[in-house]
Amino acid sequence: MHNIMLIARREYLERVRTKSFIVMTLLIPAFMFGVTVLPTLIMSKGAGGTKHLVVVAPDMSTAEMIRQQLYKSPEEQKKATRHVQGMQTHSRLENLTVDVDTDTSETARAALTEKVKQKQLDGVIFVTREGLAAKKIAFITKDVSNLTANDEIERAINRALRRQLLESKGLTPADIENALQTVEMDAQNPTGNGNPITVFLSVISMVMILYVTVLLYGINVMRAILEEKTSRVMEVMLSIASAKEMMAGKILGVGAVGLTQISIWVLMALVASSPGLIAGAEMLKGIISAKLLVSFGVFFLLGYALYSTLCAAIGAMVNSEQESQQLQIVVMLPMIISVIIMTNVIENPGSAIAVVASLFPLTAPLIMFLRIALQSPPLWQIGISIALIIATTYGLVWLCSRIYRVGILMYGKKPTLPELMKWIRYA
Amino acid sequence: MYTIELEKVRKSYDHFVAVDDLSFKIEQGSVFGLLGPNGAGKTSTIRMMIGITAPDSGTVRVFGRPFDRKCLEKVGYLPEERGLYRRMKMLDQLIFLAELHNMEAVAARQKAIEWCERLEISEKLGSKVEELSKGMQQKIQFIAALLHDPDFIIMDEPFAGLDPVNVNLLKDVLLEMKKKGKTILFSTHRMDQVEKLCDSICLINRGKAVIQGDLKRVKAQYGKNNVQIGYEGNGDFLQRNTLVSSFNDYGNYVEVRLAPGADPQQLLRMVADHSRVNRFELMEPSLEEIFIEMVGKTHA
Repeated sequence: MHNIMLIARREYLERVRTKSFIVMTLLIPAFMFGVTVLPTLIMSKGAGGTKHLVVVAPDMSTAEMIRQQLYKSPEEQKKATRHVQGMQTHSRLENLTVDVDTDTSETARAALTEKVKQKQLDGVIFVTREGLAAKKIAFITKDVSNLTANDEIERAINRALRRQLLESKGLTPADIENALQTVEMDAQNPTGNGNPITVFLSVISMVMILYVTVLLYGINVMRAILEEKTSRVMEVMLSIASAKEMMAGKILGVGAVGLTQISIWVLMALVASSPGLIAGAEMLKGIISAKLLVSFGVFFLLGYALYSTLCAAIGAMVNSEQESQQLQIVVMLPMIISVIIMTNVIENPGSAIAVVASLFPLTAPLIMFLRIALQSPPLWQIGISIALIIATTYGLVWLCSRIYRVGILMYGKKPTLPELMKWIRYA
Repeated sequence: MYTIELEKVRKSYDHFVAVDDLSFKIEQGSVFGLLGPNGAGKTSTIRMMIGITAPDSGTVRVFGRPFDRKCLEKVGYLPEERGLYRRMKMLDQLIFLAELHNMEAVAARQKAIEWCERLEISEKLGSKVEELSKGMQQKIQFIAALLHDPDFIIMDEPFAGLDPVNVNLLKDVLLEMKKKGKTILFSTHRMDQVEKLCDSICLINRGKAVIQGDLKRVKAQYGKNNVQIGYEGNGDFLQRNTLVSSFNDYGNYVEVRLAPGADPQQLLRMVADHSRVNRFELMEPSLEEIFIEMVGKTHA
């Protein structure tokens, strides 16, 4: 134990002190800030400029109706996205100027098109009688690929035309309002675990955290083992510490570096979003329970340990980073499979495949956590799942310490599978 | 009291037998030479002494007891494959390795600084290993093997790649260790160094002991039937000579092993007939001579 702690401590301190660790720790949040906050800032700035549109329709009332609905669009947009939490879609149609016209002749169209070309106008909605009959309306703009804006415009036109149709059938404005009102569906889980969509989203994000962590830091464990071999320091180390102590120390030390970095990031994110956090906590209450948090902690750590050990085993087998690349699929595959199975498990958390996947050690960290989030699986299954992950991790540490130890005798050559089997059996 | 006792130790990998029923003992406080050509099984033997690998059969006793990992704290090992953590600062590295040998960090720091002063590398204490020259790295590794004051010191080719000044520096340290009663195992194929330092030797080839025992006795076994001849002129007459069983041309002189029963005086006369003799010395065979002869024999 003394040796394991010493090896882990060295590994930890040597890594945390490096420039690359410090740079990464600061750069990633800066980058995240860059990709999340900046675009919204730019977008809201972009929305600040006025857009000038022209609506051309065969009659004034249609054109007016469309203009009205275009002006109302930001409001409608807010309504439409209100129940998807955390998704505040900004309307692209704030600050609009809309002119109307009834001249649907080809010459008028050509003139307006020219204006769009000259950038005097941002867009022209051109409604003809034929177009109305065929339910096809032209939108002339330089910005054809701006899907969100175009989508909003399309919806505004649809609302306008529906309204007009209902009006022509003699409905009162109140009736029309009522008829067009959409229903808000409140999906509920029988166990009362709150909105499944939010559970799903939170589970997915936790799954992604685990996935990314393993990808990012598991590889580091592998490199640490490789370093030991390429620098040939292993022979000195093995003359005082056992291979098993080496492996355990390396995995713990490098693993702790990953946890440190993530903790710093989480802390930074919490501080940065503290105003939003209070609102967020209110929103997440009832969805993310203490049970969920604890099981996330447990399965995250278990999964992290298991996959790091798997990476260590690869590090023990190969002689260079290039060689390791082919074997990294061994680590990726179970995670990819977990993600594929996930949809199946979400639909039916009690199915045979879900139970098997939540017990099989390599998929268990993700799938068992998912099941706990969705239902309450029997305690014995959770117990077995945890026990199997721990046993597998321990077994892997043993296995890769054998491979590692014998690996010092034969270097420069990639071992074949039969050779590896022999290495494991060597005393 | 023996520091190391190997009893019919055997280690094989696949079909290759690295160490084949090898037995020897190393007396406490002695300098022992484990000799042999490349690939003879020297490193495999050492690895079994310190538990990096376990023998397939046979027993290893360290400090008079069957091997257990606890005894490693009192062993210092300089492997032939040098290696240190490249990005780690030299002093930290030494302290880390000493701590693994159950030494207190504070004491280790103190000792490490002393050693670095003695080996004239103290100005590099704060440097990373990768910034140091090969010779310096080797000295650090040498210190790492001695820092925790081990009772048993294993040196696998300790002088390889060092200049004569540094070789002398390290040799003096080792002799001092010997005076302190430490046991030193020397693994090398450089016979001249062994001859100067070792009390007893074991020459192995293909995993088997070829000769072993007290160095003086080993040499005496071969008797004084070697002759070193320094001469000017053509030495061809030494070939296919009934008086000579083998000879080795060193450029400046020739070392000749006499055929059994041959009279050295007769050889001297013959040499004098053919060339100008500068030197003619009857002597014990050098270890190298024995080595070449024994290894050559098994290769044949």
